[in-house]
Amino acid sequence: MKKTFIFLTLSAVASLWGGSAMAQGITLHALMEDVPETAIIEKMLPEFEKKTGITVRFEKVGYGDMHDKLVPQLVSGKSYYNLLEVDFLWAGEFPAAGWLENLKPYAEKSGFDTSVFIPSTMKLLGDTKDAMPLIPMYNYSMGLIYRTDLLRDPTLKAEYKKQTGQDLEVPKTLAEYVKIAKFMKAQGKVDGAAMQGQKGDPNSMEFSNYLFSAGGEYLNADNKVVLDSEAGKTALGLYKDAINNAAQTGALSATLDDTMRLMCAGDAFSMVTYWWMLPQIDNAKSCPNVAGKVALTVMPGGHGESGGWGWGIPKNIPQDEKDAAWKFIIWVQSKDVAVARALEGHAPVRADVYTDPKVLAKFPFYKEAMQVVESGKSFPIFTYSAQYEDTLGTQLSLAASGEKSVPDALSAAAAGLSDLMKK
Amino acid sequence: MTDSARAGWAFAAPGLTMLTIVMGLPVLYAAAMSLSSMTFLRPALHITGLGNFIEIMSEPLFWSSLGLTLRYSLSTVAGEFLVGLTIALMLRQVVSLRGVYFAVLTLPMAMAPVAVALIWRMLLQPNLGIVNQTLSGLGLPIVDWLGDPHLALKTMIFIDIWQQTSFVILLLSAGLTSLPREPYEAAEVDGAGPVQQFWYITLPLLRPVAMIAVVIQLINEFRTYDLVYILTRGGPGNSTELLSYFAYQRAFKGLALNEGSAAAFILLLIVLLITVVFFFLLERRKT
Repeated sequence: MKKTFIFLTLSAVASLWGGSAMAQGITLHALMEDVPETAIIEKMLPEFEKKTGITVRFEKVGYGDMHDKLVPQLVSGKSYYNLLEVDFLWAGEFPAAGWLENLKPYAEKSGFDTSVFIPSTMKLLGDTKDAMPLIPMYNYSMGLIYRTDLLRDPTLKAEYKKQTGQDLEVPKTLAEYVKIAKFMKAQGKVDGAAMQGQKGDPNSMEFSNYLFSAGGEYLNADNKVVLDSEAGKTALGLYKDAINNAAQTGALSATLDDTMRLMCAGDAFSMVTYWWMLPQIDNAKSCPNVAGKVALTVMPGGHGESGGWGWGIPKNIPQDEKDAAWKFIIWVQSKDVAVARALEGHAPVRADVYTDPKVLAKFPFYKEAMQVVESGKSFPIFTYSAQYEDTLGTQLSLAASGEKSVPDALSAAAAGLSDLMKK
Repeated sequence: MTDSARAGWAFAAPGLTMLTIVMGLPVLYAAAMSLSSMTFLRPALHITGLGNFIEIMSEPLFWSSLGLTLRYSLSTVAGEFLVGLTIALMLRQVVSLRGVYFAVLTLPMAMAPVAVALIWRMLLQPNLGIVNQTLSGLGLPIVDWLGDPHLALKTMIFIDIWQQTSFVILLLSAGLTSLPREPYEAAEVDGAGPVQQFWYITLPLLRPVAMIAVVIQLINEFRTYDLVYILTRGGPGNSTELLSYFAYQRAFKGLALNEGSAAAFILLLIVLLITVVFFFLLERRKT
């Protein structure tokens, strides 16, 4: 009995050792935002694992938790996460802190062609002549989604013509857009614009579209703050006007989810949002009231806010893990995999995916989407971008609620940007 | 030192050691960070003095956050106490189904503040939330509960009172149950009515328990963070930016661990001060 027990114990121990020896390949751990893009890639992971023997594990969390979970790992002796998903808003901070590998030598060594990426998506992630901290993963540039049925409605068309002397059609300027949105609200059937005015990321991103649409910029070519310009004042004036006279009640505390629900319910004429929201709204199952009645266009004025995620490799991990992470990055961003992802709803960063016949056959609006991505301009990317979102968001919120005048709020927002850039 | 004192220290030693490790050391480390140049970008701990305190105290936003925190804490505690005392007195009269009442009343306390905030966020959603739908159904104008800068803090105070009152009810109910019967019997013989009994017997006898309830709740309210994060992120403008959220913003958005720690330390000092004053008052009353 005793011998049997010893034998069984030894067998169990041996099988454990044997098991671990079999699973000796590298495991990549990535902290991922819990969004459809992550789910799309996750479904394809077995293919990569079979091909390379490298295991990939995704830990999915909400956006709000990502930064707080990543930073302690990046400042530690060795990061648990050896593959990074990095938002463009951190693309100034992470490299400045020295947490990321420069991926340029990796690309050169492996012959990975980065010219296939849309230039704005590379620029967004801090790509320079000497350094490439991140490889574009997916894009979230913003455009205007609007209701085509309301724009074509004969009664509304006649009324708009009567009131303004102009035709009711897709707006070409920001002022025209706000005018139409206000008109729609005044008609009493729908809100003119579903707006996400909550302080911080929501209103900063939304306002950036207004700023670029009006011809304004945060920084000029010499990296000097030019937010406090005439175009900036026009943009903030129109933003305030839209919040107060075109948007839904409660716009000042609304987030992306709120605007999505409103648009989906058919209670709003338009929303300035991420271009890949279109298929979610134009969906007979989830949004039957508006399916087939919505379209996407570049922000009036020709430019909207550009945004995106990138892949990165932390410095504080062993070289074999860095190499494994790079293998994963070039696989997941390769043409074939990117097309397969796009067919599942991925927001591409490679130009050749937007023009791929299979992708266009399934999603004809990717033609407009590519224009949105190409014309997108970036929020200022520097070490304190995330903090600046709050500084700017506070001033926008104060201006929109009438607590501060437009010139004062804009001037404070510009001063805040200068101060943080000097920090 | 006597033998019994030595034995006391020996028995307390394991607990004190654990407390020092899990509470004392982190507090000391936070204090060191607040006096250092440590940030996420430069994580080395170099002591530089009181510069971080001076830096944050020179900002109007800090003072506005502190003012809001005081307003918020005092309003919520006052509300919780008044509602809690009223309900506790009413429950004192209840004979049957007491357990059911207590179970229902303590439900909000059992919920995580984040869940409470999310539920209320949905209820108060301006366009689709049930509160505004009801108002609209009654022909009343809908209200922008969290988007109006003059209303957002009041809405948060209401939600906090809704959740935290349960705790006050429990404490005060326990206090009321333990009150002696004799003073009431004597008062009844002397012809005192219910109001006089409440003012001259119940309130004075309940004071120690009431003070404990108030101080615990004050400490809780000063640390409120979850509601701000979920409901408003400090907005609109800065109208709901409490000191704990200010500290978080500094540490994690501004990457300045040192300034965030300094703000958190000021919060700790305020809470300590309240606790010390409370114990002083309680001791003075006892003597």
